[in-house]
Amino acid sequence: MTRNVAIVGGGQANWGERDATWKDLAQEGGKATFDAVPGVDPDDIEGLFVGAVQPERFANQTHVAPMVAELLGIEVDEMIARTELACASGQAALRYAWLAIAAGQLDVAMVLGVEKMNLGREHMPEVQSSMANVLDREFDGANGLAAPPFFAWYAQRHMHEFGTTREQLSLVAAKNKTNASRTDFAQFQSTVDPDEVTDSPEIAPPLHLYDCSGITDGAAGAILMSEAKAREVTDTAAWITGSGQSTMAGNSINNLPSFSGWPQARKASQNAYDQAGIDDPLAEIDVAEVHDCFSISEIIEYEELGFAERGEGGQFIEDGRSHLDGDVAVNPRGGLLGCGHPLGATGVSQALEITQQFQGDVTNDRQVDDATTGLIHNLSGSGSVHSVMVLDRDPQ
Amino acid sequence: MTDTSTDDEREQVSVPSEIEFPRLLDFYDLQTADQTQIHEFYDNLRAGQFTTTRCTECDAIHFPPRIVCPECTGDALEYVDLPHDGELFAFSAVRGGLPLGLREHEVPYVVGVVDLGPVQLSGRIDDAAYSDLEIGDPVSLKIVDIDGPTDDDRVFYRFEPQ
Repeated sequence: MTRNVAIVGGGQANWGERDATWKDLAQEGGKATFDAVPGVDPDDIEGLFVGAVQPERFANQTHVAPMVAELLGIEVDEMIARTELACASGQAALRYAWLAIAAGQLDVAMVLGVEKMNLGREHMPEVQSSMANVLDREFDGANGLAAPPFFAWYAQRHMHEFGTTREQLSLVAAKNKTNASRTDFAQFQSTVDPDEVTDSPEIAPPLHLYDCSGITDGAAGAILMSEAKAREVTDTAAWITGSGQSTMAGNSINNLPSFSGWPQARKASQNAYDQAGIDDPLAEIDVAEVHDCFSISEIIEYEELGFAERGEGGQFIEDGRSHLDGDVAVNPRGGLLGCGHPLGATGVSQALEITQQFQGDVTNDRQVDDATTGLIHNLSGSGSVHSVMVLDRDPQ
Repeated sequence: MTDTSTDDEREQVSVPSEIEFPRLLDFYDLQTADQTQIHEFYDNLRAGQFTTTRCTECDAIHFPPRIVCPECTGDALEYVDLPHDGELFAFSAVRGGLPLGLREHEVPYVVGVVDLGPVQLSGRIDDAAYSDLEIGDPVSLKIVDIDGPTDDDRVFYRFEPQ
């Protein structure tokens, strides 16, 4: 890439079941972002990228990027767009902002991820109607195939092929939910022990309620800058040193390459590692925010992101190697299992956590010791796309 | 702020409290030649045959059926028979939280990945409880009629244990 790009900071609205509209959340997320980055205000923003998955279904509103610009008083002169890549929409927005700055088109960009998902219990069938559209609606959605049974297949196959245990799934969920108890904006703030995960109601066997991320209202914003601009506002930032995506041309069930792994994640991370000059991810990455939409997802991601051998993801959590004080701190923020998963905001929030870890600005005792290299990972839809971004405390 | 109006002075604007289930929220697509270029798949299914497309140029078998081959971009495709018998490759159960349009379906039901040999696809497994099934169990295709918010005759497929 031609120019170094930094994430200098940002902020989140409170996440959860919020008494707030989509527009309220966008304003809260925008304010939190500008409040967190002194020296940057709406007049400085040249490009705006809004990560949002289904505002036309959850809030009956489309063309949301100019709506955000108006709400936050941003007069865009260069680039404005919404990004939609299901659960990776926030990371997609970061990626476009990064590329626009790296290419010299922008010096200062704002990324805002927003999702309003809780419409009241009586409207849950309408919410689920939208979620089932993420797969091929004609051939897969029609089977009532929302996320829980789909990811349950991966849990069942991983257990079948590698002997992964119910207890190991519970260890992941307990770790992340307990981490989230130290995260101010998180949807779920109670510590949870592994037995409580196993004893929670069965949702889609073998997955239980606490194996699943939440239905969440939330917003998260970040400011990205060219090196010259970034040096004016902060001493420490998260520099984007590598980024990869992979689909392997499969989206519907017949065309997915595996039901116990994600070779797309292996490929996307390898591309990102090559760009960032990372040879040994387990040794070099200190902190990782990975897409734990379900507990099984994180176990598979240990393997595909290169932290554990194939089939050894369950042992990796059992040995505590992904804990805050482990070999790589995975999901110190609390992940999707603990923070909730407002679809378009998740990737942005993950990147903010890494930024704040580098800045030593993580509240409530979840700071990872001397974190200098991090990554964020999202999968989306039927796991058909995996997106990985490597961040470093120092530019390349 | 001073409230200068009262309720009975205000004009009332009405919105409907109920609507018929809109066809566009129905999960099952329209299946006829005037609606979709893969109507032959549905015509065959209606006649009792489970088929998909094969590329006559590169021999690739697709599922779902296509009109352009994703392997070679050729558009000379033909419909070929798929087996009706296969094996359960993975499965789970849907216990609730069904979307609009499917919410009247009885839960729990089993949804799985069925390996038919040439293709692997998602499907509902009828007449079986999750606890009765194992990976590798033989299953057979069954064809169901769809009664929905359209006058068209529509069909879809499910599976059941052999």
